[in-house]
Amino acid sequence: MLRAVSTLVLWLAGLGLVTMTIIVAYQVFMRFVMNNSPSWTEGAAIMLMSWFIFLGAAVGVREKFHMGFDVLLYALPPSAKPWLRGFSDMAIFAFAFGMVWYGGELALRGWSVRIPVLGLPQTFTYLPIVVSGALMCLFATERFLLRLAGERVDDDALEPSVSEA
Amino acid sequence: QTVLRSSDTHPDGYPTVEAVKRFGELLSEKTEGRYSVEVFHSAQLGGEADTIEQTQFGVIDLNRISIGAFGTQVPEATVTQLPYIFRSADHFHNVLDGPIGEEILAAFDAVDVVALAYYDGGARSFYNSTKPIETPEDMAGMKFRVMQSDIFVDMVGALGGNATPMPYGEVYSGIQTGVIDGAENNYPSYDTAGHAEVAKFYSLDEHLMVPEVLVVSKVIWDGLSPEDQSAMREAAKESVAYQRELWAAKEVESKAAVEALGATINTVDKQPFIDAMKPVYDKYVTDPALQDLVARIQATEG
Amino acid sequence: MEYWLLFGVFGLLMVVGTPIAFSLGIASFATIVYLGRPPIVVFQQLNSGVSAFTLLAIPFFIFAGDLMMRGGIAARIIAFAGSVIGHVRGGLGQVNVLASTLFGGISGSAVAEAAAVGGIMIPQMKARGYGADYAVNVTSMAALIALLLPPSHNMIIYSLSGGGRISIADLFTAGVIPGLLLAVSLMITAYIVARHRGYPTEPFPGFARAFQYFLVSIPGLLLIAIIFGGVRSGVFTATESSCIAVLYAFLVTLVVYRSMTWSDFVHCVTGAVRTTAMVLFIIGAAASFGWLMAYLRVAPILTEAVAQLTSDPLMVLLLINVLLLLLGTFMDMGPLIIITTPIFLPMVQRFGVDPVHFGVIMILNLGIGLNTPPLGPVQFVAAAVGKISIWTAMRSVWPFYLAGLIVLGLVTYIPALSLWLPSLFR
Ligand code: NA
Ligand code: NA
Repeated sequence: MLRAVSTLVLWLAGLGLVTMTIIVAYQVFMRFVMNNSPSWTEGAAIMLMSWFIFLGAAVGVREKFHMGFDVLLYALPPSAKPWLRGFSDMAIFAFAFGMVWYGGELALRGWSVRIPVLGLPQTFTYLPIVVSGALMCLFATERFLLRLAGERVDDDALEPSVSEA
Repeated sequence: QTVLRSSDTHPDGYPTVEAVKRFGELLSEKTEGRYSVEVFHSAQLGGEADTIEQTQFGVIDLNRISIGAFGTQVPEATVTQLPYIFRSADHFHNVLDGPIGEEILAAFDAVDVVALAYYDGGARSFYNSTKPIETPEDMAGMKFRVMQSDIFVDMVGALGGNATPMPYGEVYSGIQTGVIDGAENNYPSYDTAGHAEVAKFYSLDEHLMVPEVLVVSKVIWDGLSPEDQSAMREAAKESVAYQRELWAAKEVESKAAVEALGATINTVDKQPFIDAMKPVYDKYVTDPALQDLVARIQATEG
Repeated sequence: MEYWLLFGVFGLLMVVGTPIAFSLGIASFATIVYLGRPPIVVFQQLNSGVSAFTLLAIPFFIFAGDLMMRGGIAARIIAFAGSVIGHVRGGLGQVNVLASTLFGGISGSAVAEAAAVGGIMIPQMKARGYGADYAVNVTSMAALIALLLPPSHNMIIYSLSGGGRISIADLFTAGVIPGLLLAVSLMITAYIVARHRGYPTEPFPGFARAFQYFLVSIPGLLLIAIIFGGVRSGVFTATESSCIAVLYAFLVTLVVYRSMTWSDFVHCVTGAVRTTAMVLFIIGAAASFGWLMAYLRVAPILTEAVAQLTSDPLMVLLLINVLLLLLGTFMDMGPLIIITTPIFLPMVQRFGVDPVHFGVIMILNLGIGLNTPPLGPVQFVAAAVGKISIWTAMRSVWPFYLAGLIVLGLVTYIPALSLWLPSLFR
């Protein structure tokens, strides 16, 4: 179930990347060939980038592709791993919750402020943080509960989507 | 003893940065050392949009900011961003030092900051790498990098030029390779960004005179005693004369510097440019109260 | 206390294995809460840290690299390069450095360069029997050449931070010899390490075969020509060239080589999203951490402490270098240039150090910092493309760091390396 959510989010993020490519290409084309630069392209491309980065980062929590150091894992016996990973999941949850809470405050406040040139409310700038944070909370909780239930969620080999990334 | 943190996007030594430091000294004197100010220059705490939010939330205490950065949040302030609304430096000062200036400062209360005083930001003009601009016709088809601001984009369009979005850091290379023909700014920025090295023609159309404002966070302001509040207002007003002095010197210095780099500076007859702004004014000044404000600014002497 | 909190919480979380981005974010959060200011700024900076147009080059070049890899452009270019230089030990390491030097002549961004060159070279080097860590380390260090060769927007930031009195044209020219010096020293290092590890050599296949390889790789090689020509002639900017690379790679694979299926394409897109999201999420979180370092004035405090320590010019330069290397592990290049230049520049100028010379020292030094965790965006991009952990990269990066540090030493103590070339143009 959450796997489907994660895949859907990844595809949405991919769509963002493709759209961004088209927008920047359009910017170059209009400026160089038509000598008529559209003014909205820069802002739109940046907004799309922030959307797909934060959506992709949420997928990263599920697929475990975020980079860390694991210094202690080398020093401690393997039985310590679930504890360390459990702690990290709580840390991820805490920060992700902050993304929802404070990102939400920024987004709400931004409703009356317009983004220059694009004309959209500032809310759209901060919404990716909120959505991403909510997904991260979901994915971190999922793993935490599965671990409690005794599933081997910390075995890297069990996640094929990570190695293929 | 409380240290107030103030943001500025300009580098250390710039007239606005020095003025806020002076403001801090004056404030410290007036409050027997209970308050002092530390300036975080060069956008260390973020760009204009970021630090405005930080001031509104009370993350930082003070902010010296270009009035244009408030965008449409403060409609009265937007009026000062209209192209060619100020005829000269004297006109600019007369408007801001008078009742209209006070009225615009008061308008900031609506966005959770208290505006204390105006500083000078000089006049912005176009510069480019190919030819001196004398009439709007000269700008036809030329690509100018402008800030991400609706009024700026529409102004360049109304003059027949091509407003091209580009991050500030790429402008130097952009002019050098010919992606764009030029940009627009005041003397000091034209000089310090090095653009005078690659765009030799600076045409004094003076389309914009940007008031810089010093604002204090509402969160901080509400925690001050009435005496400290008036001390702050007084200190801000007193730092203005100092800033204007520094600014005037800076402009002279920058002008000499860009001329030494080989820049050609030409004056223009502004009337055709002003005439071309009719559609821009029609688009942005629709509210009767703002129309009245524009009329009063135009009627001010200077 | 707040200093210990910021670095302590970060260190603690890192040690237990919390991902870098979350460690940076939580440390910033804890510190701002301790200071009694609204934590909202942490999330504002998280967002604005990734909202810069110039960062677009990262997803685009990674995307283009994926397309070239799956579509066969990269394999053909490397087959050609291998036929010409394959008989040299570590030949593809040399090719990597050469490609970076070439690319460095149009881009000023080391991260973009790591994405562009690494995206093509790293998978191919791995496929041909080179260690992934070797490929990653060559890529990340060679990417720093982009900072030194013109154009380099960081030099513009430096000039601005120095009060705008330093000619950007002079700075650009001053970077050329140090940039080439870095290229040569990395080529030598790449050769030595490859020899030491016994990487395979390929026999020279003869001119006829090499020419064949050349012919089939022309569409790919044309991309280099298009990017170089396009930026130089003002058709597009260096950042935009990354998008052109995506379009071109897409068209060549689809129309010329006809080697891409829909599922290949989806894999490229999602792969690029994963790599970019991972790197840029760290950059966003690092912006929050960097904001707190600026707010707490960490850099100025340390910098002023160094200024008090000694007045021997050689020692001052050494200390400055050490401090910048330290600060560079935690902070990004731009903010560090802005914060430290106004303090260091007047100091070294008193000893007669030319501001142009000092600029080159600073750019190279802070460039090395882009390759040091916990905040090493260039290294992160390369490691992500090479699909290895930072640990794996760090274990064998030392020879390449050493090469960089030797060049830094030479550039610091031989001013002529920086100043001779600009003097010819005055
Ligand atoms: Na470069
Ligand atoms: Na670093």
